[in-house]
Amino acid sequence: MSRAVSLTGLLARAGFDEADRDAELFRSSFLAQVYDECDVAGQAALTGALGRAADPDRGLLALVRLGEADGVDGAFLRRIFAADGPERERVIAVLGASQALGDWLVSHPEDVAIVASARYRDIGVGAAGEQVRRLMLEAVSADPAADVPVASVSASEGALDEMRRTYRRILLAVATEDLTADDPETLLPAVSATLAHLASAALEAALALGRAEMADHAREVRLAVLGMGKTGGKELNYISDVDVIYVAEPAEGADESDALRSGSKLAAAMARMCSMPSREPALWEVDAALRPEGKNGPLVRTLESHLTYYERWAKTWEFQALLKARHVAGDASLSAAYLAATRPLVWDAVARDNFVEDAQAMRRRVEAHVPIAEAERQIKLGRGGLRDVEFTVQLLQLVHGRVDETIRSANTLEALAALSAAGYVGRDHAAELASCYRFLRVLEHRVQLGRLRRTHLMPSSSDELRRLARAARIPVDGNDGLESRWRATRRNVRRLHEELFYRPLLPATARLSADDVSLTADAASARLRAIGYRDPDGATRHIKALTEGVSRRAAIQRQLLPVMLGWFAEGSDPDGALLAFRKLSDTLGSTYWYLKLLRDSGAAADRLAHLLSASTYVADNLAQLTDAIAWLDEDEDLTPRSPGVLATHMDAMLVRRHDPKSAAAAIRYLRRRELTRGAIRDVLESVPVTTCREVIAPAADMALHGALRVAMSEANTARGLQAAPSAFLVVAMGRLGGEEIGYASDADVMFVHDPDPGADPQLANEWALEVAGSIASLLGTMSSEPQLQVDAALRPEGKQGPMVRTLDSYAEYYQRWALGWERQALLRARPACGDEGLAERFTALIDPHRYPDRGVEAAELRELRRIKARVESERLPRGVPATHHLKLGRGGLSDVEWTAQLLQLQHAGQHQDLRVTGTRETLLAARDAGLLAGADADRLIEAWELATRLRNAIVLATGRTRGQRVDVLPEERQALSSVSRLLGYEPGHAVDLEQDWLRAARRARTVMERVFYG
Amino acid sequence: MDKQQEYVLRAIEERDVRFIRLWFTDVLGVLKSVAIAPAELEGAFIEGIGFDGSSIEGLSRVSESDLILRPDPSTFQILPWRGGKHGTARMFCDILTPDGESSPADPRNVLKRALAEAADAGFTFYTHPEIEFYLFKALENETDPLIPIDNAGYFDHVARGQGHDFRRAAITLLESMGISVEFSHHETGPGQNEIDLRYADALSTADNIMTFRSVVKEVSIEQGFTASFMPKPLAGQPGSGMHTHLSLFEGDTNAFYEPGGEYQLSTTGRAFIAGLLHHAAEITAVTNQFVNSYKRLWGGQEAPSYRCWGHNNRSALVRVPMYKPNKGQSARVEYRGLDAAANPYLAFAVMLRAGLKGVQEGYQMPEEAEDNVWELSDTERRALGIDPLPGSLNEAVAVMERSELVAETLGEQVFTHFLANKRQEWTDYRAQVTPYELARIGLI
Repeated sequence: MSRAVSLTGLLARAGFDEADRDAELFRSSFLAQVYDECDVAGQAALTGALGRAADPDRGLLALVRLGEADGVDGAFLRRIFAADGPERERVIAVLGASQALGDWLVSHPEDVAIVASARYRDIGVGAAGEQVRRLMLEAVSADPAADVPVASVSASEGALDEMRRTYRRILLAVATEDLTADDPETLLPAVSATLAHLASAALEAALALGRAEMADHAREVRLAVLGMGKTGGKELNYISDVDVIYVAEPAEGADESDALRSGSKLAAAMARMCSMPSREPALWEVDAALRPEGKNGPLVRTLESHLTYYERWAKTWEFQALLKARHVAGDASLSAAYLAATRPLVWDAVARDNFVEDAQAMRRRVEAHVPIAEAERQIKLGRGGLRDVEFTVQLLQLVHGRVDETIRSANTLEALAALSAAGYVGRDHAAELASCYRFLRVLEHRVQLGRLRRTHLMPSSSDELRRLARAARIPVDGNDGLESRWRATRRNVRRLHEELFYRPLLPATARLSADDVSLTADAASARLRAIGYRDPDGATRHIKALTEGVSRRAAIQRQLLPVMLGWFAEGSDPDGALLAFRKLSDTLGSTYWYLKLLRDSGAAADRLAHLLSASTYVADNLAQLTDAIAWLDEDEDLTPRSPGVLATHMDAMLVRRHDPKSAAAAIRYLRRRELTRGAIRDVLESVPVTTCREVIAPAADMALHGALRVAMSEANTARGLQAAPSAFLVVAMGRLGGEEIGYASDADVMFVHDPDPGADPQLANEWALEVAGSIASLLGTMSSEPQLQVDAALRPEGKQGPMVRTLDSYAEYYQRWALGWERQALLRARPACGDEGLAERFTALIDPHRYPDRGVEAAELRELRRIKARVESERLPRGVPATHHLKLGRGGLSDVEWTAQLLQLQHAGQHQDLRVTGTRETLLAARDAGLLAGADADRLIEAWELATRLRNAIVLATGRTRGQRVDVLPEERQALSSVSRLLGYEPGHAVDLEQDWLRAARRARTVMERVFYG
Repeated sequence: MDKQQEYVLRAIEERDVRFIRLWFTDVLGVLKSVAIAPAELEGAFIEGIGFDGSSIEGLSRVSESDLILRPDPSTFQILPWRGGKHGTARMFCDILTPDGESSPADPRNVLKRALAEAADAGFTFYTHPEIEFYLFKALENETDPLIPIDNAGYFDHVARGQGHDFRRAAITLLESMGISVEFSHHETGPGQNEIDLRYADALSTADNIMTFRSVVKEVSIEQGFTASFMPKPLAGQPGSGMHTHLSLFEGDTNAFYEPGGEYQLSTTGRAFIAGLLHHAAEITAVTNQFVNSYKRLWGGQEAPSYRCWGHNNRSALVRVPMYKPNKGQSARVEYRGLDAAANPYLAFAVMLRAGLKGVQEGYQMPEEAEDNVWELSDTERRALGIDPLPGSLNEAVAVMERSELVAETLGEQVFTHFLANKRQEWTDYRAQVTPYELARIGLI
């Protein structure tokens, strides 16, 4: 009894979770005998050794089953387990780490000897490919020395099973060595190379079996099997699809079409030998999907046919795949010819037209193609996964391999070392990436070994993670040690991508450490071009200027620039962005906060790169208002300021300024600041329509408010007045009145004044005229600050009428003369700033005119329609298609706004809710009042909002605020593409934007014609 | 290079072809052609051939008139009538923008998009057109009267008939170009003939119709006639239609067929018919695109003027033809509105999308019309819920203008252009003073 207790105790101490059950197992098996014969120290050593298995409980269970298996050499097993030596160690390591290999041993107990010695007929990790091939071919009784080996025993007579057994045994030997290695990460390259040799040899044997089944052994065809992907790169894992491409040629004297037919059959037979069900388990799937035309293409092609395909039709990713091609089975000389002919194509791929776009699309695929459910646990796919490492290395190879033959290895680790040796990537970074890669691969191997399933998922339970860490012999702390190291590795891979790719673009003088490299001019140029810079020489100059020198600024730029270069390249204009960044940095020089912000806030740097690359308008404005860069780190700084806050800022600034020039500069500076704030948010948030109301209109109101204040004070001073002789009001009209102006709009206004009782009317009038005139000139004259053109053309009598009128004069005029279009213009009149009492009186004055009780009379309606029709035919500029003009074209802003305004003229007298100045608000009110069908309102609003956003986006993209093109949907592709990216369309979907606009406008026009023209 | 392109290059070598005609159509369905030398063909496959689209109907855009033709090698054919020692061949082309995207204004692309839409729903679309046309004695100039070459009627065998020879010659040419002919006979009108093309996928059929028109024109010139696909060339005689049999397949299965259903028609088939009928007025401007088309539609003579369907009703717009019970694969519906002057690419596209819409939205098919709808009074037709098709090009354009379905199908550019072109046609037509008017009121 006491012994049983102590056994359980020993087991528990050794790390068994289910010590009670395990003690039972222990005692009921051959182990009991071994255990009993040991002395106390030996017993502890035995349980200790078992406890060192990755999973002691499962390992013990497998061992017990093995001890009871049919045909097991019990004496041998007992002898191994009695001795505290490497043999015991190996068996325990395999059983504890792989259930599948344990099962194999139970069904093939004789193979325990392989595990014990870690060699199978002298084959193990590091075995030569030739040796493995010989063994596999012998398994199917084929002659390894023959030109075309053919199995002399057929698959169904047992050769297939013998081949698969041999395969498993070699795999077993490799796995044993791998699982008992002190440092699996160091051994990894040799392990995966051996696995690749094993796969090649298996294909060779399968081919021999396939030939044996075909008439005349398919002698009419020479078939070469090229390994692609990991097989090609000699970096295979334990179990995954084996990627291949077939090349077939007629044997001497054979007919080509016969040969191709037999070649297809032979290839299919070979694949079947690897994957079809039989007594022994299948190896893996042979996947030929990388062949020309993919799954739709013929399975085999002649060399010539391959070449014509690659020369004419292949996409960039196909060359990237070809980089890995290697002869694995079949006709070696045909493979050699294939490789010799395709190599030049691979290494010239970088010069192809669409290389940049293709490479970016491939990168997106690498990052995106992860099933959502697995995204969190993927070792292979997604950002920072194995595929990401491979992609980074291959892209660098494609970019520089054209001129440098030393970096063309198909093997990821060898290629990385070569890139580092040849000076294309920093030595430290390369070594670090290699270490990440080996770590991830070892994890992947251990996960696969468990059940010999093709999986690339990290386990999620902490038990499984612990077992995985033990199987991989990774020393980690605590339960989430492995998890956190894994996550850190993924992050590192991402960071290293930037370091490897962009850091070497910095000049030699900008090296951070002796291990960094700096590319030669040609190599830098090739790399910049490959990532999307259109003018690599210019870019090189900017990079040099930014990073050279001993200043603190240069030092920080050296840290920062590599990653910024990558971000610029993701936007629509990398060159423009880099130039703008250089200008910014020149302006800001060594300003302390700027560099610190970019260095410490990843979000701010990322946003800055995005803004500079997406929007010329923002880039220009940031250069003028560098403080705005500080906002990028703080969302609060990017939210629009309320009109109240703006007015306070304005007043505070004006109190300190007494001369009108500096006051005007201050006013315009404040407006520019707010426009910049709005523009930044626009670019970051796909140009929301609300910017007009929340930012652009309030900024104009604020500017008018400031200008009015300065103008009044000036006019008073000029006349020696203590106080204003008249109340003054600025009324916003047009789109400003509706709070829907864009970045490029003028400010439409009317000026009203109302002389104080007792003031000299003549004096008051002169005073008011001067105030109005100086408001326009304060905001509209040329200066370094952006202008706001103040336009009073909507006043009574238009340009013929006086600039300012008294309230009484307005009353009289409207009473007598108000024309249809003037009433219509008044609909959007909104007091913007000035005397509040006057604002109320003026509103009361115009309301009866713009919201007439009786609606619109027939004659007036006819006149409105006629004017609109004439405007349509006359105002549209020449050479612009009516479908593309956002303001005056079919279904454009003007169509929607006139419709809304007509509804107001007709119904606002009866419906209070229609008494608003905004177009969208008017339409919604008309809908709610039952005056406009819901669907019609939606269509009008959709077109109007899109047109409004497009106009803003065009300014943002081009930086132009003047000229005809501001109002026209660009037809030039590059411009259309920038605008579409700003509006949130995916790259390459500019045409969708055009279709969306044309559709929205057409629909709006249909509604407008019905509602407006009747 | 793919197999088909290799085949084309080889065929050109072997057959000693000296000219290759690149064919494409404008928005109205007029065939356009550019000839290139064989040496340029490889380049055309890879890069395409640039051309200025601004002078071609519907292809022009103000600032982007440079377009690219890329030949579709699967349409390669030797043109037999060019004969002689050195052959001429033709291929249909796709029209691309300079960026290599499909041009939105290419009618072939419009049909391809509609077919892709059907493919997304799991369907392939097959069509089988019955093309009618008149043969007249050769015209010296446009103002000559049209004199039919014979006075025979439906299925008449005309002894030593020239039409007979004509059909034989045309069919021989068509067959030699790989276009299978199902059927040919004399039609009801004097000098009127019908040739039916074997059913094929809609894109091939549309290409075949374009070829067919050229072949008929060529043969008629050779034989000293004038052939016309005008929808209604002779007042008082039947017009030339292009009744088209439509079917959808899901893989190898005919989706219209259901052994137990009424007329062995499946739910899909019924919904497809419902879609055709429901949207018939919207698509009429495309299926019947000329002023003259409406003289056929409203000229009596069994023309399908009303939106209804029937089984053995020769006045219905949509007919469900008889077929042998065990021939499920040939289940189909016949749309009788289409005329021979339509742009087949656009017409097939709108018919397909109209039917598909019915399938996608599960439209219910109206009652079968068993009477000859021409004989009913307006009030009776209204009571039965049978609406007329548009009465003129003007009406048809007005209905199409409001159609989201047609706009989606044609794409915004083609849609806008087509409407503008048709409005102009109507304006020009209205300005005419016809012999009819002169005869009737000229003497007042």
